[in-house]
Amino acid sequence: MIQFINVTKEYGNGIRALQDVNLTVENGEFLFVVGVSGAGKSTLIKLLLKEIEPTEGAIIVDDVNLSQMKRREIPYYRRNMGVVFQDFRLLPDKTVYENVAFAMEIVEASRKEIRRQVPAVLSMVGLASKANDYPNQLSGGEQQRTVLARALVNNPSLLIADEPTGNLDPTTAGEIMKIVNMINHRGTTVIMATHAKDIVNSMKKRVITFQKGVVVSDKMKGEYFGEV
Amino acid sequence: MKFRTWDDMLKQGFRNVFRNRVMSLASISAITAALFVLGLILAVIMNLSNIVSGLESKVEVTIFLKKDTQTSDIQAMEQQIKGWDGIKEWDFISKAEALETWREEWGDKRYLLDGYNSENNPLPDSFLIRVEKPDYVDGIVAQARNFKAAEKVQYSKDVVDSISNIAATTRLIGMIIVILLIVMAMIIIHNTIRISVYSRRREVNIMKYIGATDWYIRWPFLIEGLVLGLLGALVSGGLTAGVYSLLMNRLSGSRIQNNFLSMFQMLPLDRIIFQIVGLFLLVGSVVGIAASMLSIRKHLRV
Repeated sequence: MIQFINVTKEYGNGIRALQDVNLTVENGEFLFVVGVSGAGKSTLIKLLLKEIEPTEGAIIVDDVNLSQMKRREIPYYRRNMGVVFQDFRLLPDKTVYENVAFAMEIVEASRKEIRRQVPAVLSMVGLASKANDYPNQLSGGEQQRTVLARALVNNPSLLIADEPTGNLDPTTAGEIMKIVNMINHRGTTVIMATHAKDIVNSMKKRVITFQKGVVVSDKMKGEYFGEV
Repeated sequence: MKFRTWDDMLKQGFRNVFRNRVMSLASISAITAALFVLGLILAVIMNLSNIVSGLESKVEVTIFLKKDTQTSDIQAMEQQIKGWDGIKEWDFISKAEALETWREEWGDKRYLLDGYNSENNPLPDSFLIRVEKPDYVDGIVAQARNFKAAEKVQYSKDVVDSISNIAATTRLIGMIIVILLIVMAMIIIHNTIRISVYSRRREVNIMKYIGATDWYIRWPFLIEGLVLGLLGALVSGGLTAGVYSLLMNRLSGSRIQNNFLSMFQMLPLDRIIFQIVGLFLLVGSVVGIAASMLSIRKHLRV
């Protein structure tokens, strides 16, 4: 379970990105975080990844207060979450297989586990045949699927996606969302920041809308109509 | 960490060295230059202190007598010298004996001294006194200087002192140069690792999101710095050994070695090189690791 309790984040330049945010996400939930650019979506994700610290309030993940977490514990905390970015962030000199295996090497998985797990995840996202291709040989959708595979290969309990379909055409975006939905059905909590109205409205999931750092609506089976 | 992880990190570290060939070469040259100068200075200092300790173990006082000293005066002095404290042995060396010794020392070039005979012998009579301990030298020298017939009192403490001075000066100037060179080497290695970190910044960024520990991210760069330092140490070790043996060959063939410096044999290479190379490896690895530690801390913010 993820809880934001009265969380405020003010950056050094005086910009208040989040103000008094209260939020609870149950295990296994699918949550859209929507709003225009600068509404506070990315700040929320950075706080959750413990990349930045809240100015006020507390963030509690599985009964652990992130502010009290020691620096050396952060990597182990992050191993519980898979992260997907709009700009993919794949390593260009590694193949699809190597990019995914890389995530397992970092957490010191055995070679045997890697050989078993990587092909399984690649076929789950439909990339089994592209295992030996390099990122620049892939389409945008295939690159994002590789990123999804990398995010999932260590079996995280939480998938965080920041505008995962931002660089993709609607059809490809739909394919990515199918995979994300499938992952959610397997029990992984999904938090996805986006401003893609069509995707949000077609999925009928919980939607939290941010406006200038404040939660203006939080609805189960919600919708997003863009800038109000 | 698992063995496989270490294996991966070592490979990664070496791969970084090769990926950054030009900067790696610059780093290795810089550390080689610094250590090579350090090695030469150490070699000089080690030889000088060897000479000093050799001289200290056989402290001698030589009293050179004035040209027209009478035999009776010499006998009187002998009586006094016998009574002094701290004398191990003493000997009177007449000028004729001194000339003969000189001829022997010059070996096959003794014909150059053929012009001298008992009529025009330029050498003075002298007393050679071996002292039990260096502590007695000052007293003996003071008493010897009271002899009216003493032209000059020479003792090894003079030589010891001036060699010690040379060694101290060498050490001081040398260490300043070495520190400057090491700082330069550190700056260059620091830059090399910084470039390495920069060229792998995407990877590092992804690693942080996936949950790599700080040390997992650091190690390959530390290994890269270590490899640069150690390679520099090995190259400079070889260079120092080469230059030292070259110098030794030159000196042993020359006339200087045969007489003036005959008591100052250069230390054989194997007596100094292991210490020097050991120090190189230590300094090289410390400099390499410290420089990369700095770059990582500043540019990785892990």
